[in-house]
Amino acid sequence: MTVTLAFQLAIAGISVGSIYALVALAIVIPFKASGVLNFGQGEMVTAGAYIALVLTTLALPYPVVVLLVVLVGGLGGMLIERALIRPIIRAPEFTVVIATFAIGLLIKYAIQLRFGDSPAALDGPFGMDPLMFAGLRFNPTSVWIFVAMLLVTLAVMAFFKYARLGKAMRAVSINAEAARLMGIRVDSVWRWAWAISTAIGAFAGLLVAPVIGVNPEIGTLILRGLVAAVIGGFTSVPGAIVGGLAVGLIETFSGVLVSSTFKNLVPFIILMLLLVFRPYGLFGVADAKRV
Amino acid sequence: MKRLLTVLAGALIATIAPLAAAQQQGVTPDTITLGAYGPITGPAAYIGLAGRDGMNLAIKEINAAGGINGRKIAVVFEDDAHSPTRALAAVKKLVEQDKVFAIMSVAGSNATVGTIDYLRDKGAVMYVSIASAPPVTWPFARNLFRGGTTESARYGELYAEYLATNAQNKRIAIMHGREEYPRNEAEATIAKLKNWFNIEPVARAEFNINDKDFTSQLITAQKANPDVIAFFGNPAEAAIAMRQARELGLKQPFFVGSNMVDPSLITAARNNAEGVTGFSLIPYLPGSNAPEMKQWEANWRKEYPNAPAGRPNNFDLLAYGDMHVLAEGMRRAGKDLTTDSLIKGLEGIQNYRIGPVATPRTFSNKHHIGNLTLVPMQVKGGEWQPVAWTSKRESDILSRYQ
Repeated sequence: MTVTLAFQLAIAGISVGSIYALVALAIVIPFKASGVLNFGQGEMVTAGAYIALVLTTLALPYPVVVLLVVLVGGLGGMLIERALIRPIIRAPEFTVVIATFAIGLLIKYAIQLRFGDSPAALDGPFGMDPLMFAGLRFNPTSVWIFVAMLLVTLAVMAFFKYARLGKAMRAVSINAEAARLMGIRVDSVWRWAWAISTAIGAFAGLLVAPVIGVNPEIGTLILRGLVAAVIGGFTSVPGAIVGGLAVGLIETFSGVLVSSTFKNLVPFIILMLLLVFRPYGLFGVADAKRV
Repeated sequence: MKRLLTVLAGALIATIAPLAAAQQQGVTPDTITLGAYGPITGPAAYIGLAGRDGMNLAIKEINAAGGINGRKIAVVFEDDAHSPTRALAAVKKLVEQDKVFAIMSVAGSNATVGTIDYLRDKGAVMYVSIASAPPVTWPFARNLFRGGTTESARYGELYAEYLATNAQNKRIAIMHGREEYPRNEAEATIAKLKNWFNIEPVARAEFNINDKDFTSQLITAQKANPDVIAFFGNPAEAAIAMRQARELGLKQPFFVGSNMVDPSLITAARNNAEGVTGFSLIPYLPGSNAPEMKQWEANWRKEYPNAPAGRPNNFDLLAYGDMHVLAEGMRRAGKDLTTDSLIKGLEGIQNYRIGPVATPRTFSNKHHIGNLTLVPMQVKGGEWQPVAWTSKRESDILSRYQ
């Protein structure tokens, strides 16, 4: 393998890994705040892509499209949490997880009914003609996805560290009852956690649509997002990003170095091996228990 | 006297009961109930939704014209989600619970293969419109028919001949999905390239349905320096692969499988689809300016005014044409409609089609391969246009049925 090829593969791996990282981030946030694993997050990505598709037909400027997609995604998350998740939050964990799966299917089938199954295309803000640098090719939209992913990650990390609501989310994730006793409005925290995660999911859909097209099957990205989240450690924001990038790179390189047949298998092999030695992922920490 | 009446009643019941039991399942004096299945959810829903709509449009026309020998057609449709186990469950339900007369399949190959063994045993007629999976027609089964789509082996013959002779391609890279249909197309093409032209692919790479990144497969192809990349999969995948190919600097033209010779590929791939070639199962694609297609599309849009973008597509047309062929078979079977008479009715069909929007079907008592005709096309100016090319080789397929 030449150095140029290796770098080109790395670029491709980081491009697709950035997509996985965003999905992983959108999974980690509600889990971190409320302990709920949202299996419907993949369909939020799909919904974001379709919202963007509809908005672009109105010839709105890209920043306005971004804002509206994030807003609609966030409001959708609030609605889902209030109407569908909160009533069953005290049910067994498995029940809540299945409910999120069902919500995802509802979103997907609603999209199929409205838009059908034929794939559609969405233009990126920077076009798709590759940029050349040092003999390497860069897709400008993929570069934008990577940059946006980093910006979102930094924003989320700052939010959890400095923002009052972010600190409240951290408190709730450690012990909801204790947080309630300290005066934190736990229900409000959960609502905002869902809003932020679905807003990120929808934003991810807007970002990736120019690269992977718009169709109801975008939500299958959740599988990679979950793997990325587990590799990173399920409650770690930077872990989600590292996990996503790792999955993207492993897939891309194994597709060339091993075979395309095993490309989809290798990340799961790596995942199982990692969990044997680090059950809490790369950045996850075991809960401390007083004995 | 009382005893005599009892004996006579018993004799009458004994006579009528077997006759009642022998009445053809799914056929009443005024209705023929057909079963149908296809993917209306999942990654292949673009096939099943269109197939169902095309079939239903044809049924509406048939019923409006008086039905089949005085009987109207009713249909029970099941979703197979492109899964062979779901398709088998669907067909079992249709045959055993819904008691349908015959089955119309608008499913893909991946799902259809799950139903073959069961239907071979049961003997109910299945008319397959879209799946090209070889087991539908080989080994020969009296009750299984293939209509609009052609054999995988025929795809292989035409693709191989076109690739090898039209553009003098000697270095051919193959990328294909792992599920039934694209894998069959790829293997049939590879087999004929080798047998007829002594050409081995310079690269072969697989991918999964719903894959979002094809960099590794494209780099494998790029390293082999092919003259052309033959891609067998779905339009959504092809659109990503074509874009990534250009980003990686691959300038080789793409050749695609017949399910992608459809306006949806151009919608998804946009400029990257320019120059792509493939073979079509229908004479005119939706969106064509041919008067017959414009009329058909107008009728279709009247029936489905809220259809999403990209519809109607090829599968609407295939299933529409094939439903009319199945109806013709039932018509030829006559008033005494049974599985046996339907089979005979279908086997008598020679060069039948409902109109210029369909390709003709021919069946016989030796083979049930309805269509061996495909039309080569290329994307020019954002539209699929016919290519002036004719096959010069005779097909090997029918020889094994003699």
